[in-house]
Amino acid sequence: MKPESLEQFEKTGDRFLLDMAELEESGTKVAGLYCLFAPVEIVRAAGAIPVSLCGKKEKPIAEAERILPPNLCPLIKSSYGYAATDTCPYFSASDFLVGETTCDGKKKMYEFLGQIKPLHLMHLPYTTSEPHALHFWYEELLRLGRFVEEHTGIKIDREQLRSQIRVHNRMRSLVRKISSFQAAERIPLSGLDMMTVMESKSFFVHPDRYIDLLEKFVSELETIAASGYSPFEPGAPRILLTGCPVGRGSEKVLRLIEECGGAVVCMENCTGVKGLDPVDEEEEDPFLALARRYLQLPCSCMASNTGRLALLDRLIGEYSADGVVDLTWQCCHTYNIESRIVGDRIETKHSMPFLHIETDYSNSDTEQLRTRIEAFLEVARWKQSTGPAAQSGVR
Amino acid sequence: MTHSYEDMWERLNLDLEAHAGLLEVLGKFYGNIYMSQQGRLRGMEYLDFVLSEVHGLRIKELQDAKARGGKIVGTFCVFVPEEIVLAAGGIQVGLCAGAEIGKGEAEKVLPRNTCALIKSFVGFKLARLCPYIESCDLIVGETTCDGKKKAYEIFSEHTPVYVMEIPQMKRPSDRELWKSEVLRFKTVVEEATGNTITAEGLREAIKLVNKRRRALQRLNRLRAADPAPISGRDALLINQISFYDDPARFTAKIEELCDELEARVGSGGSVAPEGTARLMLSGCPMAVPNWKLPYVVESSGAIIVGEESCIGARNTRDLVAENGADLDTMIDAIVDRYMMIDCACFTPNTERLDNIVSMARELKVKGVVHYGLSFCQPYAIEAYKVEKALRAASIPMLSIETDYGMEDVEQLKTRVEAFVEMIR
Amino acid sequence: MNPDAPSDSLIGIDIGSRSIELVELYPDGPSRRLKVPTTFDPLGQCRKLMDGVNGSRVIATGYGRKLFAENFRQVEVSTITEIQAYALGARFLHPEARTVLDIGGQDTKVISLSESGKVLKFEMNDRCAAGTGKFLEFMATALQVLLESFGDFALRSDRRIQISSMCTVFAESEATSLMARGERAENIAMGLHMAIVERTTAMLRRVGMTPPLVFAGGVAHNPCVVRLFEEKLGQFPIVPHDPDMVGALGAALYAGNGVFHRV
Repeated sequence: MKPESLEQFEKTGDRFLLDMAELEESGTKVAGLYCLFAPVEIVRAAGAIPVSLCGKKEKPIAEAERILPPNLCPLIKSSYGYAATDTCPYFSASDFLVGETTCDGKKKMYEFLGQIKPLHLMHLPYTTSEPHALHFWYEELLRLGRFVEEHTGIKIDREQLRSQIRVHNRMRSLVRKISSFQAAERIPLSGLDMMTVMESKSFFVHPDRYIDLLEKFVSELETIAASGYSPFEPGAPRILLTGCPVGRGSEKVLRLIEECGGAVVCMENCTGVKGLDPVDEEEEDPFLALARRYLQLPCSCMASNTGRLALLDRLIGEYSADGVVDLTWQCCHTYNIESRIVGDRIETKHSMPFLHIETDYSNSDTEQLRTRIEAFLEVARWKQSTGPAAQSGVR
Repeated sequence: MTHSYEDMWERLNLDLEAHAGLLEVLGKFYGNIYMSQQGRLRGMEYLDFVLSEVHGLRIKELQDAKARGGKIVGTFCVFVPEEIVLAAGGIQVGLCAGAEIGKGEAEKVLPRNTCALIKSFVGFKLARLCPYIESCDLIVGETTCDGKKKAYEIFSEHTPVYVMEIPQMKRPSDRELWKSEVLRFKTVVEEATGNTITAEGLREAIKLVNKRRRALQRLNRLRAADPAPISGRDALLINQISFYDDPARFTAKIEELCDELEARVGSGGSVAPEGTARLMLSGCPMAVPNWKLPYVVESSGAIIVGEESCIGARNTRDLVAENGADLDTMIDAIVDRYMMIDCACFTPNTERLDNIVSMARELKVKGVVHYGLSFCQPYAIEAYKVEKALRAASIPMLSIETDYGMEDVEQLKTRVEAFVEMIR
Repeated sequence: MNPDAPSDSLIGIDIGSRSIELVELYPDGPSRRLKVPTTFDPLGQCRKLMDGVNGSRVIATGYGRKLFAENFRQVEVSTITEIQAYALGARFLHPEARTVLDIGGQDTKVISLSESGKVLKFEMNDRCAAGTGKFLEFMATALQVLLESFGDFALRSDRRIQISSMCTVFAESEATSLMARGERAENIAMGLHMAIVERTTAMLRRVGMTPPLVFAGGVAHNPCVVRLFEEKLGQFPIVPHDPDMVGALGAALYAGNGVFHRV
């Protein structure tokens, strides 16, 4: 019993390209983005359409390795490979790119990417709790605004920016609502389908149409929830997936969890619920409101990323998770090192099984992963039946 | 080293047995790599002595200073402005990070694919083998690279770490951010030492650190002579010791050594047989006792005449302007000097490429060996750009990526020898 | 040594991790080529080879070159690296060569040559055995196939499956899980061969890969690897008659040039 409009989410990428083709004559510019830290409200207020660029498939990696070292995460190599081989339609459609200094690999990869298309690099402060951080980031947002303005020739009007904030808040609150259906005892949607829906939020030209689609989806989910249908067996261990971003093409761990009988009820990552908190609509200076909200994103690139622990605490409760899987793309130092800290939190505070997986986009370790995930789910099941006081699980 | 330090080490809570083992291995390693060299300068005896007492007498000096109320500030990076610490009456030291120590312990809390330098400082702490770390009143980290930035979070579970934010770009706003960080650091150091930094104190500190940099610059100028008058290993050791030793004493000793070197250059003396290929190292830092690659290179028919590295030219090339009239101007001068560091953590960092090419030309090297620690992404990605820049200048480059383990020494020798054959 | 024979021959010896090759070149007349396995007593094996030679000037190359130089003081020994040796040997046999690939026991080397035959650039695999002869040997054993017939075995595959792991240990577990799924051993063998060629091609790309390519070293005997290179590169790699002798030949030739690198 799949929701009818799911198919439309699967096609949001194609829809995006069609809608853009319609706008082509109007000269509307497209901004290619790689990261949640780039505020889409600013991009749209300056008249450009933001879109996420490809980086989730293995195919272009070999080409990227001609220039980039092998010991880089697959996401970075895939992103660069797509651009260098001009095989990502969104990259082709982009008039300019926005990068950010989240991690060493991306930061240095952008040096090469900037030779292909105009690229604006945003500098993130890493010690977000220090007083200089907000001011510095605020100015970075103003600079981003000026960069987009130069490319579109459209001045950002503060009212327009405020209106974009409201529209995106609405959009994000709907996505949050959709995700929260999975918190129910009977989980209405598979994690894989939910991923498709979540991923679609970076691929729309017309916010109003996208919001309509989300609203339709909400009502379909309400119907399914009322019917008590679930694609999962009763008692399937409820898994919270955290760590590096996943999406179509790089969903192997999510897929394996569900093939092995687990239910991924929530994704605490950039594809999932990480970037869904609202921006303050009341703040007089919309740039300041955006700076505050975006600086709160609990990315592992932050020196001491306590926000992620707080978010995990909250999500574990909200979604009644039975276990946490932390996915690190190979050679992503920040998520990899942070995993120790996250694992400690999950095991000590929640006495919940925790599994850290470090892998890449290839299928070379599928069978080994399957074994580890199966064993992990066995522990999660066993804990379900024995209650939270039982011993903690496998690492 | 004598047994008289055992009480001190015990007070510092070192693992005495393992520490004794470490010193023994270090001694042998040093003997093989250093004492086997021919035609060393007499001035190197001082360095031999300092190294032999690096966990002994120098630690005792630090302890004595602490007993007099002095404070020790430990660092992992050339971004931490020593001038500030000295002006507040503190002593700054580099912390242990150059040996495969406590690797097992470190890999329990850090991923295996973390660079050897990071695993080493965490390993030294967890295995309780670095008397410097244990002597510190303040340990300063920085957000240079992903690995270090996140490893400080793990490290700080054992000892508090104060983290400085290092900008990743060099626009006016980044300089402003860096200035606010230098000022924040100043406050922290003043609190830690209990001393307020005065204009007079800072002026003296700037002069002192510049003097040491000038002595090392002089060393670099002298060793540029052809034929090479000093081995790359010895020059590296001098640079390494500069992070541990008392700055004034060290500077005086290096000036003496340079006098001797000058005389040798004047008479055309050399440590390398004719036909030895002149090479330059570029890339990641080599902390004590990481002498592996210099040893490999210098036993493969080549000699190292320069290090484009944080333990090398990157740390000594630029001086802080000394004409600052007041505290503010001096702080600005410090901010500007440290913003000139061309670490690969910056983007786009094109000045590093220019610096490498001009250094290679000035030193008249036949080739450059680019050294990356395995899993160090900033330098690994830059290696491609460095090679391209050098190729445009018709200078061949060999890219080496390795860690502190010795199992690839033979393979590295083959590579370096083949490179020497190629460029001869 | 035979005191009656002419002593002005040139000798090259290549002491590798798996086998030792010796080439002796005479100013007039045919050369001699010998090969023995390295075993755990490489010096003993070298002594056996050296027993029959006439010359007194030896160029040693390969992993054991230093060991050889230190232990054969009775002859005049110099050393060169395998890079130089393979470049010289390949160029002598095929003067048109611009790229040389050598897949040996524990090393893979890719050498780019100038038009005049000078080494321009080279790449070697890192310390692990991924993509080397050792990898094939290990995997042949795992599949219970003789190393010598492993290539032919793989060519009997009927399906191409991808094995992405190049780590010897992980590739074995990958092969094991494929077997558990009922995949034919021939297909797994083909997948392993493809993985080697994939990895080596990446190295070839990094040096620029100017044709023609000479493929030397023991693995060049493997028909499946040669076939896959042809597919991948769109050109047939030139395989010398005795591909594992190229290093020893290059060393002997180096002796002839009179350019000595004294040890």
